[in-house]
Amino acid sequence: MTTPAMTFHPQPQPGTPTPWAFPAPRRATLGNGITVLHCHRPGQQLVAVDLVLDAPLAAEPDGLDGVAAILARALNEGTDTLTAEEFAGELERAGATLDAHADHPAIRVSLEVPASRLERGLTLLGDALRTPALPADEIDRLRANRLDEITHEQANPARRAAKALYATLFDSADRLSRPRSGTTETVQRIDRDAVKAFYDQHIRPDTTTAVVVGDLTGIDLTTLLETTLGTWRTNPATPHTHAPVTADDTGRVVIVDRPGSVQTQLLIGRIGPDRHDPTWSAQILGTYCLGGTLTSRLDRVLREEKGYTYGVRAFAQPLRSAADRSGRALLAISGSVDTANTAPALADTWTILRTLAAEGLTDAEREEAVQFLVGVAPLKYETAGSVAATLADQVEQDLPDDFQADVYRQLAELDTDTATRAVVAAFPPDRLVTVLVGDASVIAEPVKELGIGDVTVITN
Amino acid sequence: MANPAPASTRGLAITEHRLANGLRVVLSEDHLTPVTAVCLWYDVGSRHEVKGRTGLAHLFEHLMFQGSANVSNNGHFELVQGAGGSLNGTTSFERTNYFETMPAHQLELALWLEADRMGSLLAALDETSMENQRDVVKNERRQRYDNVPYGTAFEKLTALSFPDPHPYHHTPIGSMADLDAATLEDARTFFRTYYAPNNAVLAIVGDLDPQQTIAWVERYFGTIPAHNGKQPPRDGTLPDTLGREIRELVEEDVPSRALMAAYRLPHDGTREADAADLALTILGSGESSRLYNRLVRRDRTAVAAGFGLLRLAGAPSLGWLDVKASAGATTDQIQTAVDEELARFAAEGPTAEELERAQAQIEREWLDRLTTVAGRADELCRYAVLFGDPGLVNQALTKVLDVTAEEVQALAAARLHPDNRAVLVYEPTTTDAHEETAE
Repeated sequence: MTTPAMTFHPQPQPGTPTPWAFPAPRRATLGNGITVLHCHRPGQQLVAVDLVLDAPLAAEPDGLDGVAAILARALNEGTDTLTAEEFAGELERAGATLDAHADHPAIRVSLEVPASRLERGLTLLGDALRTPALPADEIDRLRANRLDEITHEQANPARRAAKALYATLFDSADRLSRPRSGTTETVQRIDRDAVKAFYDQHIRPDTTTAVVVGDLTGIDLTTLLETTLGTWRTNPATPHTHAPVTADDTGRVVIVDRPGSVQTQLLIGRIGPDRHDPTWSAQILGTYCLGGTLTSRLDRVLREEKGYTYGVRAFAQPLRSAADRSGRALLAISGSVDTANTAPALADTWTILRTLAAEGLTDAEREEAVQFLVGVAPLKYETAGSVAATLADQVEQDLPDDFQADVYRQLAELDTDTATRAVVAAFPPDRLVTVLVGDASVIAEPVKELGIGDVTVITN
Repeated sequence: MANPAPASTRGLAITEHRLANGLRVVLSEDHLTPVTAVCLWYDVGSRHEVKGRTGLAHLFEHLMFQGSANVSNNGHFELVQGAGGSLNGTTSFERTNYFETMPAHQLELALWLEADRMGSLLAALDETSMENQRDVVKNERRQRYDNVPYGTAFEKLTALSFPDPHPYHHTPIGSMADLDAATLEDARTFFRTYYAPNNAVLAIVGDLDPQQTIAWVERYFGTIPAHNGKQPPRDGTLPDTLGREIRELVEEDVPSRALMAAYRLPHDGTREADAADLALTILGSGESSRLYNRLVRRDRTAVAAGFGLLRLAGAPSLGWLDVKASAGATTDQIQTAVDEELARFAAEGPTAEELERAQAQIEREWLDRLTTVAGRADELCRYAVLFGDPGLVNQALTKVLDVTAEEVQALAAARLHPDNRAVLVYEPTTTDAHEETAE
């Protein structure tokens, strides 16, 4: 069979880039002390409002892990004038979504609403903060739901791996060591009084920041915020400070037994520099070269050569941060591999890390990573929600408003050696804690032979 | 009180073109952000697969990233990401799509790459790539379906809803046995059959110059020969309703009991499908829905309760019910409550407030899809491939908002009853709830 062939042309060269910079927010303070960051993004008809509430998990009373998470969920459950059902109905009538969750540094609340209904959305959000009903029967239900959720988390390989890694990395006295939303034992103790007490003590306007991003054409934002979020008045609060983060990164292996698993979930981690560290940008770049995409070093072998996995990623995730640089990020490699190839995949991972330490990154690798990380920014920040989330992260981590813009400037100028040093320091092969969720009867023996640390098998 | 609509209904300005080889091209300009999305839909999905070769369309989608005449193995990823773009491909029952979102000044590269693999994939396709991607896809199946609780529910319910040998009987991921059986020659034949310019739609959306863009499309895609070897998918015609309830009990190591069901619903593209979307939104989307209020808030028999629409154009759409039981609750209790709620809804129809809320939710979801250039490009392809006219994108929301309460009620009465569903009941094999210890 002869097929007429297409005409080939040389690979095209790029045109002239359009300059782009991460948006600079404007700041304001409402009469009640709420700090506002706002940013006009033409065309973004879905406005994102992200709140940072200064209620860290470390502030939870002893034995009540999960009270912050229940409070976050209860903010959706009605106000002094609306029942829980009515509140949900009003939000949906505005075409809005309201999500809240509690993490180590803060409680975050995120509203998305069409610009034409921003006032309605902000009114509901303001009421939820100012006069949440926190009804006892709904809190009882949220507690029961959370207890059921724990059972589901236990069945999820990725969640179990995270739980085991945090439990082994951090001292048991540090809130970081325990699940963010609490355990069966602690959640059982949470009632309306505990939730209300946590709200009264920690949720205050003067320690709250509101980030508003979207197409704000024709909107008098200051007036709108004053008449909604601005009507929330309380006594002043004392801002929380964050304890330094420390961890035991002695190389070792924890196998969480999950009999019958057809894959092993890997989570290989330790702690390292967060965004306050001058090496952050270099670490981002180096970590991308190690495991940012399927053409990075890990997937090039584990996926594209060996077929052991659908994909493995390396990443850094800030845990608690402070301007005094006592904070740290979790640095980790995560993915799942088929059960039979668990030990071979780990052996390859360690070979990749050792080769990286011995030979460093190449200039071509660094260049491609920079082109991606910097070039993809306008795309990554196309929506209002993504811009708002990054600005709120900066507030939560005590970073300046131009932090992300500065990261892009730094990335463009980094040399290969600097990126190599950062990623090699981040992932030293002998200082990594490996958590494997999988069938211990199959994987434990071959993993012991790898020499990547003592192996402990746990069943919960 | 009036419910002022967002500016979402503003139409997209689009132009349509067709190359001599049959490639349909849709352009939509938007200069707000310096990014441009390229989306290419091939009119082939898992419904085109034959017995013994399930999963081939999706496995083939992976092979499309393994190089072509002028692109090295993985070069597609390297070049797009190295240009600051993002990319991927997905396979469904009805189509396979590939997309790149690029900084605007790199648009030409994405067009060159898509054209190279459309015209010359077989120049690079070899046994090494085939074996490797077979393993990757098998690990994808394990990760997404086999190693997670309830992971195979979608596959089971689809199989019950579309009895063998219906073309939608199996899901795009395919079976392990068929993935093992696929050969390099199968992949080559698949490419020769379905990957032709006249079986594709190319949408380009964002910061672009239309004249220049069309000139590039002509230059890179224009000489790829058309090919007419494609057979239509097997007939997917089915009665409007199942006629009886089909049930399957699944005893597995899952964390809680669950009740899942699939209801047979009208085809995508019809006014009745929009009525179904509104009905399922009112019944089971969000925390003000009837099923959430009944099962989660009042009865407290469920942790989560949702009802969603899987829109299908070539077969009946499916309404997906998914309820995870609370500790101690039974699936019988849940099913009785679900049936009461559905019967009440079919008898009384939605209230005005419920309809308004559902419209606002659907409007927001639509706005969300159209907020990115990639989302817009995908929707343009969808309307072009499945319904023959990308311009329909500008009427889609208006059509949903036009549906009346009576039509929603009629849809519920005709379709949302026990004799029109496949049901999956999950019973955990280990009854003792996991005891957690504080560490």
